[in-house]
This record gives sequence, C-alpha cells and structure tokens, in this order.
Amino acid sequence: MLEYDFMQNAIIVSIFISVLCPCIGIFLVLRRYSMIGDTLSHASLAGIAMGLMANQNPVLGAFVFTSICGALIEFLRTYFKKYTDLILSIVLSLSVGIAITIISSGKIHANADSFMFGSILTVTRLDMFMVIGLSLVSVLALIFLYNQMLYISYDEEAAQIAGVRVKLINYVFSILVASAVSVSIRIVGVLVLSSMIALPVATALQLGKGFKATLIFSVVFSMVDIMLGLFLSYYLNVAPGGFTALVCVAVLILVLIFKKLKTIF
Amino acid sequence: MVRAENLFFSYSGLPPFIFDDVNFEIRDGEYVSVMGENGCGKTTLMKLILKFIKPTGGKIICQAKRIGYVPQRNDFSNSGFPITVYEILNSYRKLLKVKDKNVVKKNLEWMGMSSFADSLMGNLSGGQSQKVLIARALMGEPDLLVLDEPSTGVDINSQKEIYAFLKKINREKGITIISVEHNLEAAVSNSTQIYHLAGGKGHLCTPKQYAEEFLQRR
Repeated sequence: MLEYDFMQNAIIVSIFISVLCPCIGIFLVLRRYSMIGDTLSHASLAGIAMGLMANQNPVLGAFVFTSICGALIEFLRTYFKKYTDLILSIVLSLSVGIAITIISSGKIHANADSFMFGSILTVTRLDMFMVIGLSLVSVLALIFLYNQMLYISYDEEAAQIAGVRVKLINYVFSILVASAVSVSIRIVGVLVLSSMIALPVATALQLGKGFKATLIFSVVFSMVDIMLGLFLSYYLNVAPGGFTALVCVAVLILVLIFKKLKTIF
Repeated sequence: MVRAENLFFSYSGLPPFIFDDVNFEIRDGEYVSVMGENGCGKTTLMKLILKFIKPTGGKIICQAKRIGYVPQRNDFSNSGFPITVYEILNSYRKLLKVKDKNVVKKNLEWMGMSSFADSLMGNLSGGQSQKVLIARALMGEPDLLVLDEPSTGVDINSQKEIYAFLKKINREKGITIISVEHNLEAAVSNSTQIYHLAGGKGHLCTPKQYAEEFLQRR
C-alpha cells in the first residue's frame, strides 16, 4: 500500500498530526479545556464549507475560520468568566449553524462527508504542504513559548507576576489550536478530532511523570494511535478517523490495565 | 515599598466597599502580617498590591522592583498537574530570565528540599509544597515577598521552619514581607508590624499593640 501516492501523503500528514495534536492537547487537557477541540473542529467544518464555497483550499478556509473562533472564545472569556463551558456552546452553535446552512444550500460542489469522517484518499499534495507548513510553525511557536504556556496552565497568577503577557499568549495559543485542528481534519475528520487532542494526553497522564516526560509520552502514544489507526483502517476499508479514535481508547485501556497489574504484582 | 492612598474597592464597583477610603504605608524591610476576620478583604488586598485587580477608587503604589508571591494553598489545588519540583523552579527561572542554573539547586537546598527535586508536586505534603512555592518566590531575588496564609494546611513542625525562615530572610536580607495571616502567634512573634482590617478600614500597629487589642476584644 505504500506505493500509492495518496498513502504516502496520508502517512506524512499523520506524522505531523501525531506530533502537533498532543503538543497542543496537553495544555488544553491540563487547563480543563479539552472540549475546546470539539468546538473548534466544528468551527473548522464551517471554515471548510466557506473555503469550498469560495473555491479556495478548504484547509486554508478551516485554518482562517477556526483561528477567528479560537480568538472569539478567548475574547468571550472576559464576559463569561464563571461559565466558560457556555462559551464553547455559543461558538459551537455559530459554527454548526454556518456549516449546515452552507452545506444544505447546495452551493458546494464537493463531498463534505470526507471532512466529517476523515479520509486518506482526499489528501492532496497541496494539503500536505499546508499541513507541514502549519505544523512546523506551530511546533516552533510552542517550543518558543514552552515555559510561558507551562506556567499559564499551572499557575496563571505566578506567570503574571513573572511578567508573562498572559492575554496575548492565550490569543496566540488559540491560533495554535486552530492550526492543529485544521491540519488534522483531513485524516481524522471533524467528529472524532477531539480524541486526537485529548486521548494520547489522557494515556500519558496515567504514567505519573513530570511535565516534559508526559509531553514526550503523549507524542509517542499519539504516533502509535494514528499509525495503527491509519494502517488498520486501510486494510479494514473503514474511515481512518473513527478507527483512530477506537485505537486511542484501546491504548488508553491497555495502559490502565498495565497500571493496575503493576500495583497488584 | 507599598502605599495606599484613599483606596476604595468593591468587586461590583459600587458600595458597600471592601476598602472604604483606606490609607497605609509599608516601608522597606518591614515584615507586615495582615490580620482580620474571614471576608474582611485580606486576600483582596494582596490582589490589589500584586495588580491582579484594579482599585475602584484611589490608588495603591508598589515600588518593588521584583516581587515574589506565595499563593494560598486552598486556591492552589492544582495537585493533579504532572509537574516535578525541579520543573516548577527551573521553568520559573527561565521566565524571570535568571541565567544562573544553580539558583534552582541553591533555593531547594535553602528550603531543605533538595532530595525532592524529581518528586511530583502533587505527591508532596502541605508543608513540603509550601516550601517549594517559597523557593520559587525567592527565585528572582525579590525585594518584596507576598504570602497568602503560608501556614494553611501545613503541619506544626513545617510551620515553625517556614516562619523561622521568613523571619531570617526579612531580618538578615532585608526582604520586605507582607503576609496574610490567621496564625496569631506567628504574626505576633515574627512581624515588625500588623495591619488589622475590619469594616472596610484598616490600621497599622505593633505586634504588642495588636496582641493587647486582641485580648481586649475577647
């Protein structure tokens, strides 16, 4: 299967996704904000619909609209300090509303299903280069902001006292989340994208390590999840997104069982 | 070091005010314990000094160049966070742009926490985690150290060690300390001044005066 161009593209894209998603996901999970992935993946569907309607690259459309929604979530945090989950509902409603309206209008001459469930067949060369570009920029930004992000997640007040520009970095981070979501959408699909953001991190957290070790293990689990998901879904002839989500859950369960056995013996 | 001028504050911006025309001055090198009943505004005062919130009226001026802050442990219940003691201190060192890597080791030794460098913060006892937060607060060699109830959730022996340490760095290094306190004995025996808050007003007094007033109130 590796001789097929589409499979080569899918593998390259998957490698980048498996690094980027847990790098973003660890901060979201630790800030109790993992559902933002779900909201923004729906926002990306609206972005894809707008991109397709405007005859532009759908990944670019997803990135632009998801970034706007990420910044909107950050902006609304000022107004709904005690109800942050409500913000996600507001942005989700807006995004799903736009997506359904455009898709149902019949003005899109492309198949939106592949974005819902993920598809390895639809990853074009252009998509691949966009994914590589966005992933590299995002990972470099995360390396540069590592200590700031770590402290904003762990102790925002201490970060503020140390001179970290918390608000600005939160906005930058929301764009990084948007980037992770839009690059993942082709392979994983809208419906299970949050699993790629949260589950490898949830699995790594079970190991009880420090932050850096947890981040490294998240990336390792993410690579295992997405590669297994990709190869097995190819042979089973099912959508890679759904099957990757199943692999993520299976790996988490295996780690939980291993952890339990370790305490017994 | 810290001065309040005609300070008014309420979270809604409207009366009744938690601080109603409050004035005080804390000079360099003082160890001031902030005392008062629950809900009188002790933690709010810390937040105003640290500029986490803005006054409704008047102003609060803090002239410290570098501030160290030790949060209240009840507010800081981030025990599930996967972070080691070394990571907490080393990341903070990088945020403060302190180039000397040895400062992490030195501060841990100072607090008697060297052997816990690789431990997860969530696995430490109340006293141990408080010592780590003090070691972090001292990272950038602050001229003002602000603590919010440093003895809450801390065992008696660790309390004694922490207060002895705070007194030592105040008297020997001249670090100004402002500490929200519930612990009367610690406040009276360590502070150079006590700031008592009640009914939207406050007044500074010596520990001896405060102890006498306290006995009279009872």
